[in-house]
Amino acid sequence: MSAVGVRFPLALAGTGRFHGGWAWVTVGACVAAWVPAGLRWLRVAQREHYLGGSATRFAIRWWRSTGPNAALAVAAIAAALASMAWPIAGVVTAGVVALGPLGLSLRGRTSPLHWTRRLRTLAAAWVVVEVVVVAIGLVTGVAAPLSVAAALAVPLAVDVACWSTAALERRLSAPFVDRARTRLQRVDPTVVGITGSFGKTSTKGHIAHLVRPTRTVVATPASFNNRAGLARAINEHLTDDTEVFVAEMGTYGPGEIADLCRWCPPDIAVMTAIGPVHLERFGSEDRIVEAKSEILASAGDVVVQVDDRRLAAVADRAEAQGKRVLRCSAVDRSAEVCVVRSDDGSRISAYARGAALAEGVAVAAGIQPANLAIAIAVALVLKVDPAVVGARLDDLPPVDHRLQAVRAASGAIVLDDTYNSNPAGAAEALGALVASTRPEPAPGAGPSPARPHRLVVVTPGMVELGSRQFEENRRFGAAIAGVATDALIVGRTNRRALLTGLASIAGSPTGVRLVPDRRRAVDWVREHLGSGDAVLYENDLPDHYP
Amino acid sequence: MPEVAVIFGGPSPEHDVSVLTGLQAARGLATGPGATGTGVRGVFWSKTGEWYEVDPGLEAEAFLEGVPRGASRLQFTAAPGGGFAEPGGRLGRARPLELDVAMVCCHGGPGEDGTLQASLDLAGIRYSGPTVAGAALGMDKLAFGAVMVAAGLPTLPRAQLVADPGPAPFGGPYIVKPRFGGSSIGIDLVEDFVTAQARLSANPHLRFGAVLEPYRPDLFDLQVAVRAWPSLELSAVERPLRAEGSADILDYRDKYVAGEGMAGASRELPARIPPELEKSLRQAGERIAALTGVRGVARIDYLSDGREFFVNEINTVPGSLARYLWVAPPIPFATLLADLLDEARQRPTHAYSAAGADGSVLRSAGSIAGKLG
Repeated sequence: MSAVGVRFPLALAGTGRFHGGWAWVTVGACVAAWVPAGLRWLRVAQREHYLGGSATRFAIRWWRSTGPNAALAVAAIAAALASMAWPIAGVVTAGVVALGPLGLSLRGRTSPLHWTRRLRTLAAAWVVVEVVVVAIGLVTGVAAPLSVAAALAVPLAVDVACWSTAALERRLSAPFVDRARTRLQRVDPTVVGITGSFGKTSTKGHIAHLVRPTRTVVATPASFNNRAGLARAINEHLTDDTEVFVAEMGTYGPGEIADLCRWCPPDIAVMTAIGPVHLERFGSEDRIVEAKSEILASAGDVVVQVDDRRLAAVADRAEAQGKRVLRCSAVDRSAEVCVVRSDDGSRISAYARGAALAEGVAVAAGIQPANLAIAIAVALVLKVDPAVVGARLDDLPPVDHRLQAVRAASGAIVLDDTYNSNPAGAAEALGALVASTRPEPAPGAGPSPARPHRLVVVTPGMVELGSRQFEENRRFGAAIAGVATDALIVGRTNRRALLTGLASIAGSPTGVRLVPDRRRAVDWVREHLGSGDAVLYENDLPDHYP
Repeated sequence: MPEVAVIFGGPSPEHDVSVLTGLQAARGLATGPGATGTGVRGVFWSKTGEWYEVDPGLEAEAFLEGVPRGASRLQFTAAPGGGFAEPGGRLGRARPLELDVAMVCCHGGPGEDGTLQASLDLAGIRYSGPTVAGAALGMDKLAFGAVMVAAGLPTLPRAQLVADPGPAPFGGPYIVKPRFGGSSIGIDLVEDFVTAQARLSANPHLRFGAVLEPYRPDLFDLQVAVRAWPSLELSAVERPLRAEGSADILDYRDKYVAGEGMAGASRELPARIPPELEKSLRQAGERIAALTGVRGVARIDYLSDGREFFVNEINTVPGSLARYLWVAPPIPFATLLADLLDEARQRPTHAYSAAGADGSVLRSAGSIAGKLG
């Protein structure tokens, strides 16, 4: 024992310039810093679906988010370098790592940490990674610098833990997937698999609505679109009487949809739209198309939106493979199913093979003609009577959080588009904002109100757009400047891009306000908006974003 | 110490409403005034028929996506000494839930049609609410209607709807309902008999049978709760009100979507109806209770034009256990729950008998081969 006690403090000192006690203090401080840092980055990993690399990506984003955070980061790195010569300097790094980045809370408000079985496993793996690094330091005689490095690299260690537990998690989830496979085989519904960069959830809702009077239909709940979610949807929601199962299939990378299709093969494959969503995980939009196309393998029927020429090419390829393809469009009446919107956006007309299913039907704002066309096509493949399809369009429910308009107690119109994070949807939402306060011709109405209408946009911008993120948000900022009287930029994630865009429109009357979180924005809206005004809440980011 | 298990959920269209009823009952048992102090276990029956133990103090929101966080799997054995158990506890042995009584809060489907009740009988678990026979009769609209007709109670015509060509049994317009099922899900209003028959293949809820009734827009609903323990008792009569601008018949949305289940719907209570109508409703209610063997709390639904009435259906496990109907005389929810438990303990649902199976038949049987030959 005593031999160890003597040898290690000497080894700890590294260069030997300071005696061992200081090195121990540094190691202790770094280990203490693991606790708050670990909680922070484990929460981020949980929010990001345990995808390896997320914690580091968010760490870079956070440390660069503000001046003080950047200064702290520089100090922490400088101190870490200094600790190679003077171990005690590492205490500064430990302090920064324990406290920062400023603004990223430990437990989270909108997205609190949940100590699930999976998180506990991840936390244990992460502790092992940290301990191994320090142990290597102890053995090689550079314990202090390595502890400092380990504290600085907590996000990376969390990512390493994510990568190294991925195989284990797969093994652990295998029984659930097996149960789901067995259940699916027993119930034996027609499986409709939906994928796409956006529009999946809306399309799923439309399909369920159109098919429900004719066939018993179960759709996966909103966010259940990965391996675990799909298995859970089948195990918990696929009742014995289900004739049609509508499954949303999401993907964060190549091969994932192919994996889902191995145990949940769609009979009808649906592709809604391709856009730069999750671009940072794919690299290019072509690779997104490729990954999404994996859904076609088992399907005999394919329903595709062909206004995007990349998807039109997918349709041609599927047809060449002998699949029955239904092409859907929001512009081209010669497509198998076409849904067009009236000029003012409030009505739609639907055509199947040129024949009208319904014309001039009033629909809620935010319903996308292309998604509706796809849903109609799926209903027709499922042999729902076209007359029933036409009739059901009359009472199409609005899509949750997709441009739902409500009138607040103050009289202001509130447009909720908080589930959207894609450029096309954002542009459309601005159009809906302008349309929402368009005066209705009221006979005998008095003079127009003295105060001009206020049109407010509250947004943190869009995320997961990879290399396009700055440019897309800049464009969105410019578009806001063209229509809104006020813009409230939430948080810091896209602040610079949005501000650049807002400033690019010369002479724009848009007043810009910066708010730290959505709650502050809502307070401002409540205080300043009244009858005749309108506010658009475009996208919402949980509080693990800066 | 043996505890009370509140069973709710189930593979039924009324799964969600049952969750609300179950959570209300669990809360009432655990914290209401006069709470018994016995432990309460939450037993959640998933939409796909699996069993879970859940925290009985959960809010409805926890069930939005299916099985709530923190739920643990249970296995159920329908055999003597069976019941609910946690599989693979310490040393891999199942740990049984020591139950005194199960409080059945399932609506529709196998929770209200006798299936669950039969399983609990086989497992030897005492439970509240209807017996197998009472539940099965209440769930079969055709059989229930026939029993009412046989007893001479006033009913509207009710016929089995089949696709065979033939004359309409009575004139339209019609209401088409699933023959089995407790809720208003799958109900169609149609003008003529041909359309009614066409619904058979188009409406997935009619796969296991449908009944046809005349649609009478002049009639409104009247409902009364009834219980037989500690003594036969009827609640005030309620007239549920349809939401402004809603469908022609009181539908699922009116009943449940607006608020916290049936207890949150809008209503006239007590209903403003002539005293003689109320009197005859109550007399009919007492007879129906006897005819169907009411156990627990049931709710009888009538149709009326304000003068005469027709028996429509019985819900043997009504939403919110019809707690909101007991206003005159007032019965607090805690008392209602305590009485349900009391009845479950003291009034057996069945007594299987093997009397007469004394071996004499076996002795005189000779060989099986001889019987086949």
